[in-house]
Amino acid sequence: MESIIKVEKLVKIYHLGSSDIKAIDGVSVEVATGEFLMITGRNGSGKSTLMHLMALLDLPNSGEVVIQDQKTCHLSEKKRTDLRLRQLGYIFQEYALITELSVLENVMLPAMMIGTSKEAMERAIFLLDKVDLMNKKNCLPSELSGGEQQRVAIARALVNKPKILFADEPTANLDTISSKSVLEIFKNLNEKDGITIVMVTHEEEELIYASRKIRLSDGRLV
Amino acid sequence: MKSQARLSFYLTLKYLQRGRKWTLVLIFILMSVAFVNLIFISSLFTGIIDGANKQIVDTMTGNIYMTPSDGQDFINNKDNVLKKIADVNGVKSVSARTQVPARLSYKNIRGNWQILAINPENEKQVSIVADKMIEGSFLNVDDENQIVVGRQIAGGDNVEENAFSFKGAKVGEKVTLLFDGMSEEFTIKGIFNTKFVESDKRAFISEKELNKLIPSTKDKASMIAIKTDTKDETKVLDRIKALNLDANIYSWQEATGLMKSVASSFLNVNVLITLVGILITAVTVFIVIYVDIVNKRKQIGILRAIGIKPYIIISSYVILSAVYSVIGVLIGSVVFYFVLVPYFNAHPFSLPICDATLILSKADYISRAEMIMWVSVISGLIPSAIITRTKMLDAISGR
Repeated sequence: MESIIKVEKLVKIYHLGSSDIKAIDGVSVEVATGEFLMITGRNGSGKSTLMHLMALLDLPNSGEVVIQDQKTCHLSEKKRTDLRLRQLGYIFQEYALITELSVLENVMLPAMMIGTSKEAMERAIFLLDKVDLMNKKNCLPSELSGGEQQRVAIARALVNKPKILFADEPTANLDTISSKSVLEIFKNLNEKDGITIVMVTHEEEELIYASRKIRLSDGRLV
Repeated sequence: MKSQARLSFYLTLKYLQRGRKWTLVLIFILMSVAFVNLIFISSLFTGIIDGANKQIVDTMTGNIYMTPSDGQDFINNKDNVLKKIADVNGVKSVSARTQVPARLSYKNIRGNWQILAINPENEKQVSIVADKMIEGSFLNVDDENQIVVGRQIAGGDNVEENAFSFKGAKVGEKVTLLFDGMSEEFTIKGIFNTKFVESDKRAFISEKELNKLIPSTKDKASMIAIKTDTKDETKVLDRIKALNLDANIYSWQEATGLMKSVASSFLNVNVLITLVGILITAVTVFIVIYVDIVNKRKQIGILRAIGIKPYIIISSYVILSAVYSVIGVLIGSVVFYFVLVPYFNAHPFSLPICDATLILSKADYISRAEMIMWVSVISGLIPSAIITRTKMLDAISGR
């Protein structure tokens, strides 16, 4: 199957005072279209850093991230933003919802960059129904439980029909039931809608949802 | 593109609707205080300058002032001159004053104050002195051996120049006018207080009395004060000059002398204080908006991460800052025009030259409101532009 993401010899170094820390050390990996890839590893292994680079939230020191045959590391910030908006969805560990916007408005926001408010609202309502949050559409994020907030974040990530969905430890702050609900949504998105999913986790029991898993240790694939 | 631009306004609206209410209220209050601070001092100085100018016009020179031609002691044919001036289009009233060549004596105190002989009825039409009597009453045309003196001559507690005054002369008491070789006793008929020290160092007797004492002064004047019925004194001045009268003719501004430099000094101080005020206001507004936006750093990072273009994020904060400034200016204007101005009208700021109220010209109001808005917009632009350029993940994680 053709690869949708290709990561080539990626290196990411953080400068902490006088010392340099190699968070990602020459990682190369390919993600096939429709794959559900899980990245696992211990704390500090570099798995979140790798995903940030793959999702164009950060730039590597060297190496390349190719998304749908397009090299991204030398693109302007404007083009990278546009790629994030149209091709990628990202789910943060701590939901990262806009506190001043309601559930519906949070989901609509990225779609309003592309289409009209009406189209954005229709799409947002469809997705909120899909994640079973229609009854909370007018609530503010602060009025929701962690699991509900994460489902809002999923709906927001899907609003522009991305080809790839990135999720950074999406269940880390959730109870068992909410975690299962989120993972079931991912499974459905992957299997029924064909969305490629890249997810970071350190929960071994979640790995059963993946079609493939990779493990990182000290910034390297093991 | 159009819908993207609308998104900036949409985000601004949501910040305002759902932002922390007390933070918003505090920002609006700070913005309005900054604006009031900017206009208050300026308007007070303008009020002082305007008040002093008004005092000069209303108590001393009128709008137009005439003195004898160079080399002459008097304006001759006074009655004829007054009649000609009164007929000029734009002249409201006119009054001749004749300097009385005498010193004033009260008990053992003698002094060289300006004593003017006037037609009281004419003088009432030109100057407000008659309305400023604090004791007794003003002169009548037929008054004989009656004198009205300014507060600085009568003296008393809390009088600015008490040391050089009669130190508490009262209405009904006698004063003596010492002429060259003769003296005449007068009764103090009234004491006036215009709240303009220079005006209050004068005394008035009736023209009729002077003509009786010194018949040679009949139909002569040392000065003529003219009140115009229009603000445009220049045209009236030109018309009077066109009469080719045998006298020097000045606008009140030319005749102000010392007060002109006092007003000029006030203007300079006003400019200095306004500059300092602008600096303080700019820094205050900048800090308020900067802190507000820096506190939204995480939010800006999230917006960038989900694909919202930086210019939309920056625009939303620039619009937010502009809204802060507009609301600050509106609240500040309400406070200024509906609280401070009425208060100062009721309780003027009392100075030795005038009772000052707050006066703000339209141009000053607009320039200061514009200044607040520009500072706000820049204060919104800089931090949001900086944050949209910092690392997205640092902004989201608050590093």
